[in-house]
Amino acid sequence: MKFWIIRILSIVGAIGGCFAIQGIAHTQNDYTQRLIILAGLYVTLAVSLNLINGITGQFSIGHAAFYQVGAYLSGFLSVRFFQSAHLPPMVWLFCMMLAGAAAAAVAGLVVGLPSLRLKGDYLAIVTLGFGEIIRIQVQNTPALGGSYGLNVEPKIQSTAFVWLLAVLCVAVCRNLLKTAHGLPFLAVREDEVASSAMGVNVTRIKVSAFILGSAFAGAAGALLASYEGFITPATFAMDVSFIILTMVVLGGTGSITGSVISAMFLSYLPEYLRGLKDSGGGPLTLSGGTVIAWMVAVVTTVAVIRWIYSDGGRPRLQRFYGLIGAIVGGFVVQLAVGTGLNHINKLHDAKVEVGQLRMVIFAMTLIVLMLLRPQGVFAHHEFSWNWVSKLFKRGKGATA
Amino acid sequence: MSILELNKATIRFGGLVAVNEVSFSLNKGDLFGLIGPNGAGKTTCFNLITGVYKPTSGDIFFNGTAITGTPSNKIAKLGICRTFQNIRLFKALSVLENVVVGGFLRHETGLFSALTYLPGSIKETEKLRADAMELLKVVNLEQVAHVRSADLSYGMQRRLEIARAMATGPELLLLDEPAAGMNPLEKEELLKMVRKIRDEHGMTVLLIEHDMRFVMNLCERIVVLDHGEEIAQGPPSAIRNDPKVIAAYLGEAV
Repeated sequence: MKFWIIRILSIVGAIGGCFAIQGIAHTQNDYTQRLIILAGLYVTLAVSLNLINGITGQFSIGHAAFYQVGAYLSGFLSVRFFQSAHLPPMVWLFCMMLAGAAAAAVAGLVVGLPSLRLKGDYLAIVTLGFGEIIRIQVQNTPALGGSYGLNVEPKIQSTAFVWLLAVLCVAVCRNLLKTAHGLPFLAVREDEVASSAMGVNVTRIKVSAFILGSAFAGAAGALLASYEGFITPATFAMDVSFIILTMVVLGGTGSITGSVISAMFLSYLPEYLRGLKDSGGGPLTLSGGTVIAWMVAVVTTVAVIRWIYSDGGRPRLQRFYGLIGAIVGGFVVQLAVGTGLNHINKLHDAKVEVGQLRMVIFAMTLIVLMLLRPQGVFAHHEFSWNWVSKLFKRGKGATA
Repeated sequence: MSILELNKATIRFGGLVAVNEVSFSLNKGDLFGLIGPNGAGKTTCFNLITGVYKPTSGDIFFNGTAITGTPSNKIAKLGICRTFQNIRLFKALSVLENVVVGGFLRHETGLFSALTYLPGSIKETEKLRADAMELLKVVNLEQVAHVRSADLSYGMQRRLEIARAMATGPELLLLDEPAAGMNPLEKEELLKMVRKIRDEHGMTVLLIEHDMRFVMNLCERIVVLDHGEEIAQGPPSAIRNDPKVIAAYLGEAV
């Protein structure tokens, strides 16, 4: 009984939370609203790819293809049938999510089958190829608008649906890992021969992971199509797959928490950098000297931190102080080198807009994180209330 | 009736005949040894029985039904489970989780029930974990149940592999060099453990081992392979004095 009460309360809470996000989003301008929607979609994409890549260990880098299948199928159906269906927009959107998920699941099955015979980089190449096949096929299909894109009518925008899908995706993956059913997925990742010898049907596990993961991506695609009202094959180019993969790897392969947080962080970071303003309201610019100083500072800081952590024998506290020292030292180096270099007139006068450097900064963030923590920010850890309370107790124990 | 029967099982890899017309049969409750010098085809025999390879010719029967060429996961469900010579644990999983994977083939709830976290799958998870804990007690690993399996010592990893295989509830347990890398004390414990597995859990055991003292003490019947061919079969006392076996291990007298 208690179980069902908690269950119902958490479902109601999740739905309420999603509508609360929608409420907040409506008070913001269009640009912020779009960011909130994209963050939700990327959370869904990253967590669903994490199911295939991180949990089941099938290295897939064509996730944008499933996203695209969902988007185009729902876009096509909306254009053709919305008028004659006479359904309320929200019901129609829900049906489109299901249709997108189903279509992507079929695509996932098609890609999942070669995964039975291929491993690692070979599978990666197949999924990459599949992604390109879908994109180029759509580009050359006049009925889908070709490379001009497809106008999706009607445009139905629902922040709550986007976040509900994200929450559902997280919940499904978390449930899988909480029950014994998740273990065969992990076992297949660890050792296929051994899992097969233990009676695990490896074929079934891999195909289930592909179907589930791609279905979520397809549903996300349907929501994107109806939100944007216009989709082109370029929306689903190869780099989208790589961004999603980056989110999974950066968050910690296999960690749902990591995927969620890095998906939100990475979808926001470039937009944040794009929007940086100086005190006068114009775009924030840096002089050439400062930019070079930042590069020097980051490289030296990373080198020092890696050196501090390379010696496993150092006590924990000493390493922590070393870390703080290295970061502070980095700022000092930046100031010193920057001031020095800015005395050179040419470097002082060369102005660079930070917004234009955003992809460079984005890439550099990734490189730095991978150098300092190659297993991903969360590694294989998950958020749990137990963990929070332990952390709290440990903090209290240390002060007492 | 014999629980496992190999009838002229043969496998060729290109020109190499790895196992050539090997026939032997195990009765229920046997402690059976499979020995031979390196490269004799012992592990290949295991791979044939557990469906990793399909024999080029010949048949394998389990409880009277042919299992030749059946996929490994189905063979595990029929009741044959094995350990591996080069330990193949699920390294990132905890000790307990490794054993739960073994017991998972008895699950009844579907994937949907797990994805929606229904009470059925939660109860089943609890039951599988409790069963796994019982098995860990048999192999003396209950203290380290929540340790990552890759962090265990070598001897413990070997014992965990046995527990994981036992979790599938097999009638026939195949152990591939269970004592390799163990010290004499650990070997002594393993010996007792394997006897206990047979006597108390009613499993038939077929094992590959290089340590002659271990095999001679433990097994009641032994088959000797050399270069893929069966060269002797019988109780340890007979094997020990068989001139062919001595020749295979030590070479011919000059």
